Amino acid sequence: MSEFLVGYLSNQSNHEDPPRECDVLVIGGGLLGTSLAYYLAKEGTDVTLIEREEINREASGTNAGSFHFQIALHQLTPNMTDSEKDRLASEVRLQVDAAKLWDNLEQELDADLGVHFDGGIMVAETEEEMRVLRDKDEIEKSAGLESHILTGDEMRAFAPYLAPDLAGISFCPREGHANPLLVGPTYAYRAAERGVRFRTDCGAESIEVLTGEKHRFKVTTNKGVIKANRVVNAAGAWTAELAAQLGLKLPMGLSGLHVNVTEPREYFLKSMVQHIGRRLTLKQTHNNTFIIGGGWPSRPEPYPKRFSNIWNSASGNLAVALRVLPMLKDVKLIRTWSGVWAYTLDFKPILGESERIPGYHVAMVPTGFTLGPMVAQMLSEYMTAPKGSIKLPEEFRVDREVA
Amino acid sequence: MKSVTGNDLVVIGGGPAGIAAAATASSLGLRVALIDERITLGGQIFKRVGPGFDLRERKSLGKDYARGSDLIDEIDRPNVTLLTSTTVLTIEDGKVITSHPEEGIRALDYRFLIIAPGAYDRPVAFPGWTLPGVMTAGAVQTMVKTQRISPGKRVFFAGSGPLALAFSAQLIGLGAPVFKVIESAPFPSPANALRLLSRIGGNLDLIRDAAKYRSVLFKARVPFKYGRIIVKAEGKGRLEYVTHAKADREWNPIPGTEVREACDALCVGYGFFPSHELFRLVDCAFEYDENRGGFSVLRDEWGATSVDSVFAVGDGTGVTGSYSAVAQGRLAGLQIASRLKKITEEERDSAAKPYARELRARNRFQSALNKMFDVGAGIYRLADRKTVICRCESVTRGAIDPIIDSTDDVSVVKGISRAGMGLCQGRNCQRHIAAMIADRHQKPISSVSFQTPRFPVKPVEIGAIADDSIREEKYFIT
Repeated sequence: MSEFLVGYLSNQSNHEDPPRECDVLVIGGGLLGTSLAYYLAKEGTDVTLIEREEINREASGTNAGSFHFQIALHQLTPNMTDSEKDRLASEVRLQVDAAKLWDNLEQELDADLGVHFDGGIMVAETEEEMRVLRDKDEIEKSAGLESHILTGDEMRAFAPYLAPDLAGISFCPREGHANPLLVGPTYAYRAAERGVRFRTDCGAESIEVLTGEKHRFKVTTNKGVIKANRVVNAAGAWTAELAAQLGLKLPMGLSGLHVNVTEPREYFLKSMVQHIGRRLTLKQTHNNTFIIGGGWPSRPEPYPKRFSNIWNSASGNLAVALRVLPMLKDVKLIRTWSGVWAYTLDFKPILGESERIPGYHVAMVPTGFTLGPMVAQMLSEYMTAPKGSIKLPEEFRVDREVA
Repeated sequence: MKSVTGNDLVVIGGGPAGIAAAATASSLGLRVALIDERITLGGQIFKRVGPGFDLRERKSLGKDYARGSDLIDEIDRPNVTLLTSTTVLTIEDGKVITSHPEEGIRALDYRFLIIAPGAYDRPVAFPGWTLPGVMTAGAVQTMVKTQRISPGKRVFFAGSGPLALAFSAQLIGLGAPVFKVIESAPFPSPANALRLLSRIGGNLDLIRDAAKYRSVLFKARVPFKYGRIIVKAEGKGRLEYVTHAKADREWNPIPGTEVREACDALCVGYGFFPSHELFRLVDCAFEYDENRGGFSVLRDEWGATSVDSVFAVGDGTGVTGSYSAVAQGRLAGLQIASRLKKITEEERDSAAKPYARELRARNRFQSALNKMFDVGAGIYRLADRKTVICRCESVTRGAIDPIIDSTDDVSVVKGISRAGMGLCQGRNCQRHIAAMIADRHQKPISSVSFQTPRFPVKPVEIGAIADDSIREEKYFIT
């Protein structure tokens, strides 16, 4: 399973100085950057990717690897209008497309990425949460995402490990997960096979727009200057910071997420479990450990330190986990970690070419693990098609302003 | 979560250094809370006999036991709160967060914090090291000291440094049938011996101890061989044979010099690693010294670290032994009492004199000893392809080598191989992997960076730390 990672890592040219010029320069070696490099190279584009540390290092490799095809919880409210429901349905359709990409990705990359579709359970504790769950279920069904509501004895028979007094659950068979440590590096390996030059320990220090020269951009790195026709900012959590250098103000925010890992126990929990009213994602990995998260905060630290964990996040998060799965009581917590989660203020991806700075592209998406490869594919199609022949969704616009 | 408030000083670790610090600070009127993971105080060197043992002849337990008893008696004061069976999980926002089987989670505030976590046995991976019957010196010492259990009927001792001699003699004294001791370092050279002799001042007791240990071995007719190192352990389901060989200067076994012997217990004692997880969690600065166990926390003459109000004492700061540890604890206690205006700086300095003098003498001697028993890099090369390096996740050297061929980053090795992700939280394998990386990429082990420190410092049951009163920001408002 590790052969592609080792293959990628042992590529000695990763540590060489970057080329002096290229057509497309991708900044950032996360999942978006590596998958974009792959799709661009597949169409024959000349790509160089620079990464200031090692590929797949930040959110791309530190997330829990879950596919979130159900509606993101922060978008739900108890009394949704029809137009809100329509908007959510359009997002679900995007997620259904992403699911299709994941269906075929192991075949596409000819590698084991640990992709499993074992379904996702969403629990509701109260009758009010149950109403939201039913609304959500209805929107998802209308958008073509299979979903089932179970309550009472039916729920207890389906998921006997859950607390028996929960109000009910929905089950989405399409949900699942992949191994976040494998996906980005495998994309990188396959992209390198197609001629993409990867340069690690190579950070973008400044970007200038050139006029009257062969290339439009001059990017200064710690390992020398690169001139490029087109630049893609795929710097993950640091996308806005990088874009600000050219005066672009991206509607983004950052937050640190807390994750708990337990000791292994006999495997029984096939599906990921979430809570519709509280912050919880819970799953058992194929190493039999439990990974418990769901959006509890960690403490921001200045780069290059990693965000630090907060005790109360562990205590509170694990209490929600026990409420839903009481049998975890005596399982030991052995590790916590924290990843940086970048989100957009309207929860839409930022994807495409800036109108203000032609040639400057941004690729940034919240729920980046689930949607990253798909939006990378969309951007690649845009960048490789004749100018103007493909339009990216209006609501993803780079130059949009969000209140 | 319960709170334990109003502490002037919290001391983590009830070994020689921690108890000495608590004793000095409490004698000067500080309110002290002393935390230890075990059911009784003492740490490793002053370890008490286990609960239920009736102690009739204290003298028979030797000098260290008596030293420990005297020190523990010193903290029998109303201004000292003892928290035994209490595990520190993390330190956050000026609070030490602990767990206890009955008391649950408790948070202790402090004006000053002394971290005295001690050291643990240097794990050495060689073929067969995970067989039942192969034990670390510390584990055997605990068995013998607390439970009076001999690790086997025919015990082989492989190790290095003063402890190889001391432990094996102690084991024999307590009735464990040790039949041979091997020491990796060569027979002391005249230069080394002279250096040691020149620093004998203030350390005569240690020389006397060493002579006594040597005579115990001699009387018991147990051979003590210099310049030999463990090569492998074998047996069906449990240990039956050990193989050892002559070691070169770097502690690499010399082919053709192997000797195979039958035994049912192998005690492995190649020195210690400071337990530095808590120091890293609070972000203390470090230096590197392989002979003191690798990464050692930076501290001033009083034990203050680079982090405000946090002090470091004892073997957790770099292994120097129990006499140094006690002196370090005393000095830290004095400095904190002076910072809290319980004594003047003059009073501090005059009280500190004998401890500072002792510490200097001990350190001089210790560094000469360290020279004599310089840890060889060969200790990290004993594993073969099939040898398990990470016990928790059963990751072999064969699985790790190809990854190390392509990266010098510990986190990447961990991410790909899962080595270091198990219940021991990497304590057993991370240094070994760092050494493998250093060896393969020809760089000093000190340049191989740590994993990011994260709580819990020790594994803890979910039920113990879950707290339903902590509520998150809601996703949707109802």
